[in-house]
Amino acid sequence: MIKAIIWKELLQYRRDGRILAVLLITLALGFAAAFNGWSMVETQQRERQAAVTSDRTTWDNQGKKNPHSAAHFSRYAFQPTSSLSVFDPGLKDYMGSAIWLEAHYRDPATLRAVEDAVEIQRFARLTPAWILQVFAPLLAILLAFAGIAAERERGTLRQIMSSGVPPRQLFVGKAIAALCIIALLAPSVIAAVALAANTHDEVGLPGTGLRLTGIVIAYVLYIGAFTFAAIGISARVAKSKTALVVLVGFWAASVVFVPRLATDVGSALSPAPAAADFQARMSADASGAFWGGSEEAQARRAAVEAEVLEQYGVDKIEDLPINYDGYLLQESEEFANGVFDRYYDELWGTYETQSDIVRLFSVISPTLALGNISSALAGSDLYAHRHFADRAELFRRDFVKLLNEEMIQKGGQDGYGYMADNDFWQTNPDFTYRPPSLGAVMSNIWIDILVLLAWAIAALQLAFRGVRFSFKQEAMA
Amino acid sequence: MSVAEENTNGRMAMLQTINLRKTFGDVVALESLNISVKPGETLCLLGANGAGKTTTINLFLGFLEPTSGEALVNGRNVAMAPVETKRDIAYIPEQVALYPSLSGLENLKYFAALAGHDKYSDTDLYSFVERAGLSKEQADRSVSGYSKGMRQKIGVATALAKQAKAFLLDEPLSGLDPSAANEFARLADELRASGAAILMATHDIFRATELASRIGIMKAGQLVEELDPKTVHSKEIEAIYLNHMRDDHAAPAKGEAA
Repeated sequence: MIKAIIWKELLQYRRDGRILAVLLITLALGFAAAFNGWSMVETQQRERQAAVTSDRTTWDNQGKKNPHSAAHFSRYAFQPTSSLSVFDPGLKDYMGSAIWLEAHYRDPATLRAVEDAVEIQRFARLTPAWILQVFAPLLAILLAFAGIAAERERGTLRQIMSSGVPPRQLFVGKAIAALCIIALLAPSVIAAVALAANTHDEVGLPGTGLRLTGIVIAYVLYIGAFTFAAIGISARVAKSKTALVVLVGFWAASVVFVPRLATDVGSALSPAPAAADFQARMSADASGAFWGGSEEAQARRAAVEAEVLEQYGVDKIEDLPINYDGYLLQESEEFANGVFDRYYDELWGTYETQSDIVRLFSVISPTLALGNISSALAGSDLYAHRHFADRAELFRRDFVKLLNEEMIQKGGQDGYGYMADNDFWQTNPDFTYRPPSLGAVMSNIWIDILVLLAWAIAALQLAFRGVRFSFKQEAMA
Repeated sequence: MSVAEENTNGRMAMLQTINLRKTFGDVVALESLNISVKPGETLCLLGANGAGKTTTINLFLGFLEPTSGEALVNGRNVAMAPVETKRDIAYIPEQVALYPSLSGLENLKYFAALAGHDKYSDTDLYSFVERAGLSKEQADRSVSGYSKGMRQKIGVATALAKQAKAFLLDEPLSGLDPSAANEFARLADELRASGAAILMATHDIFRATELASRIGIMKAGQLVEELDPKTVHSKEIEAIYLNHMRDDHAAPAKGEAA
């Protein structure tokens, strides 16, 4: 019986030129998006590799230089791009992918990402994820809005009922047929995955296979939710035109308006600091409070001096067996690190609050929940960026410490006059990055998973009850 | 022996109601209806709108649940076995609803499959269509260009494909041109002669007297007369019917429903 319903539905779809047109356009967009995603990732990876090599070569061959000067000359941490970014680049393009690892400072490139963070989610891009998030629900609506309403209008619902078809079987047959048509978009997704597999996964995302499986399940739930909802609404309203209006309205709200509204509300309720202001305040608290002329800064430096003299049991700086300038530099770093942590914890907290506010809106927009899951599993969300930025910062601290130690141990009384050479630079390590485990990623998106699941279940209930309702209504007619 | 079995001529009633009652709130649509249709019989129900004819059919189809009493198909209570009883029934409404983007044959194939008959070859399906009075060429055409009579024939072909034992015909002749109505009447009589039990709701006294083994006159949800056209002249039947209708207009029914 279900097989017959699927056969008939597919036959009708095949003969409906509108569906064929929408399907072909979406498919073409999907292929274009897959190629575009692959092209972007390839470019990013190529540019990153070139930049990494250039950065290393420049560092290794900077010649004679004071280690602290080298710490300002500095190096970069380049964020590797995951293969899954071909499918969903998430926020990656907007968050910046290079962090300058300078002494005394936490790179302002990270701060630029702060300026844009959640607002940038509103922008639409030609990516396979975006195509599926926006167009697949529209296709589901186009396929299913007339599912039950048109049967009723045409009078065939009564014929179906007289054949002994239970409501549940009619729903299942129609849902499977609609999902089969949507599944025809799969080649574009497969193309994206194939192209992704063709790129060098320079991140080495843990559990890429599982992530991909998770992404597929999430999109199936999302598209399923829209399909079920379309059938449910179609069963509840009197006319198929009414169903179309209601469903397109829901699509526009869910896919376009609510995500924009959510980010606006998130930004309004938890505003991120202006970049310049944030930078100035942090700089004043980190550098000014240590190196400045205030009594507090002077007292801080005096305390460092007293402590080191006591540690080495000498009375004068000149008697120290180490270079004091290097020591003081490292002490200033330790002090500044605490300030950076405080500022960035607050900043990330602001973003998390924004994300939580946006997440609340996923109750009325499954697109928001899916977007979070998709970009998180693709390793291109805010959390992935923060993870990279934090690891880059830890590396910066170790790297600056390494340079300061060089000056402390070998600078003697020369201090800033001490020069290291290429032999030393060439022993310095590179920044290596290990992305977060899948478990850590999942712990950030479990609410989104539950919300999406709830949407799918609610839509399923709406459809089941709706079709049953339409049978009762028809019986009374 | 089951209450559903009638022994007057040794055949079990295919369609039967026992004290069937249906109310919609305060409105009484059917009151203690007792009818039976045996294989090879046609019972025509005549009555004004709201007399309870369609409600009776809906109760046989299991679309409605009786307030009390029973509707039986082939001895089985419809309320207890709604899916099983539908397998024995073919339902042909006034407007046979079909899918306009499908051909007549595809519509037939679909509805036959819904009724559990999904193994028919195209040859089998064409034979049902031809028995119903349509050519192969007509069957292969999109039903968007079908006349009402052609749609009725697809309905009959579907009933044949279902191998139905009982036919519920709800005003099947309304709106048909005389030629199509004649053809449908011929088909209905062929079905009866081949052993089908037919319950037909109609306003058409002429066709009822022509086709029916028995004629039931319904009024306000009750069967007020049951006549045998073989023993009562058609003019007399018409007079009795019109007399009931006049009474009906003079004194409105206790309740009205579909």
